[in-house]
Amino acid sequence: MRKGVEIEVKGLGFYYSGGVHALKNISLPVYRNSVVALIGPSGCGKTTLLRCFNRMHDLYPGNRYVGEILFKDIDILSKEVDLIDLRSRIGMVFQKPTPFPMSIFDNIAYGLKLKGIRKRSELAERVEKALRHAALWDEVKDKLSSSAYTLSGGQQQRLVIARALAVEPEVLLFDEPTSALDPISTAKIEELAVELKKEITIIIVTHNMQQAARISDWTGFLMLGELIEFDRTDKIFTNPSQKLTEDYITGRFG
Amino acid sequence: MGRERIRKAESFIALSLSTLAALFGLFWLVFIIGDVLIEGVGALNLDLFVEDPAPPGVEGGGLRNAFVGQLMITFFATLIGVPVGVLGGTFLAEYARGRRIARMISILSDIMVSVPSIVVGTFIYAVLVKPLGQFNGWAGAVALAIIMIPVVLRTTEDMLSLVPWTLREAAFALGAPYYRVIVQVVYRGAAAGILTGILLSIARVAGETAPLLFTSFNNSFFSTNMNEPMASLTVTIFQYAMGPYEGWHAQAWAASLVITVFILILTIIGRLVIRWRYGGR
Repeated sequence: MRKGVEIEVKGLGFYYSGGVHALKNISLPVYRNSVVALIGPSGCGKTTLLRCFNRMHDLYPGNRYVGEILFKDIDILSKEVDLIDLRSRIGMVFQKPTPFPMSIFDNIAYGLKLKGIRKRSELAERVEKALRHAALWDEVKDKLSSSAYTLSGGQQQRLVIARALAVEPEVLLFDEPTSALDPISTAKIEELAVELKKEITIIIVTHNMQQAARISDWTGFLMLGELIEFDRTDKIFTNPSQKLTEDYITGRFG
Repeated sequence: MGRERIRKAESFIALSLSTLAALFGLFWLVFIIGDVLIEGVGALNLDLFVEDPAPPGVEGGGLRNAFVGQLMITFFATLIGVPVGVLGGTFLAEYARGRRIARMISILSDIMVSVPSIVVGTFIYAVLVKPLGQFNGWAGAVALAIIMIPVVLRTTEDMLSLVPWTLREAAFALGAPYYRVIVQVVYRGAAAGILTGILLSIARVAGETAPLLFTSFNNSFFSTNMNEPMASLTVTIFQYAMGPYEGWHAQAWAASLVITVFILILTIIGRLVIRWRYGGR
């Protein structure tokens, strides 16, 4: 694998159980400590691609991958991969905030308990660390035992990010994390993403091209299951090499 | 203009008919509950709860045997019916979601809900009374459990299906195995709904008479032995109401009131749970 590459996608194809060929021969590098944005019109396969990285598609029978996704020493798509271990190394944040029906503390501690951490003091320490990391600590430190549903949408989304960060993943997948949020909460999440890339690698699916331009280092443009162009974000947004990319980012379709 | 008048007239007729239907239903409901209340309150006394039945024709005595029997049968029915119902519902909503078997079980279970309870009674008579040689409390508990199971199963299935998939995916994305996702995340999300289903199913079986007639039958003496015939409020009401003694009638009224209030309380708790969990937000 090339130097500085965290994840290498090689000839990835994906078929949904009905036989729909959702991804076709996708290859791209994901560099360590960078933010990669996946953009494209609805139904282009960007979320499908994102969900390959943590094998989310395995939850539903009949889905099929071809090709490989190399992540450090393993092939993510290999049958031998321990999904539980994989998913604790590659975390995910969804479009709508998904706090669990439990207290703020227990939400963050959930992943830690899955990893077998039971000691109260260690849990408390790591919960605080994760909440600070997600820039939420000051807002919730006095109400850790209240239900996570008492938080606002933007806070819930940061809670979910904190929950994902608590297990110390190497990569974080964001599936349109701000599409359900107001502009201020969106700005906070974007700031957070840029901050986080110092330590981890981020892949983000977004509908919002300004967002991709603002926070990502690399951008992939997908259409009809194909990766049309993958390049540095400034190049994609100022001087794309493909006509389709240019048409899309200038708003001629999509 | 004409068309608007017709429309208003139609609306008026529909409104009047449905109001009348509602009032008709409500009238009988109030009548029945009012009657039970008036007749029952007069016959209520402490002896009813702490004394066993007096010999026929003798004044006084109570229904302690029936209260205890009813509680025991209902308790064991719940103990059998709830785990089976909840686990079965979990199977349908989680492990078998979308598969043909899940739909089949759901439909069968819906049919089970509307099977006349006396059919369940006679079935249990054939498998748990006849072979054992006598009516017994266990048979009653199993009969009631069988009536509970489809109710609990379907409520559990419905409540689990209401928990958004994204919540499960979020738990999976943290590396949780399926059973922990279900137990720690999905059940929590659906807890209030499942609890309500359980309470309502208890309320449902607590008022059943027919399945007990063939199973636990009745017992004029105080007994906590589930292997023997066991008294229950509903069968006692049936027997006393049909009996020739004034004192029996009064006690049947009182027992009717107690069981109605018991079911009312269960239903109110069920409603409160729903409001506490889903109403606030």
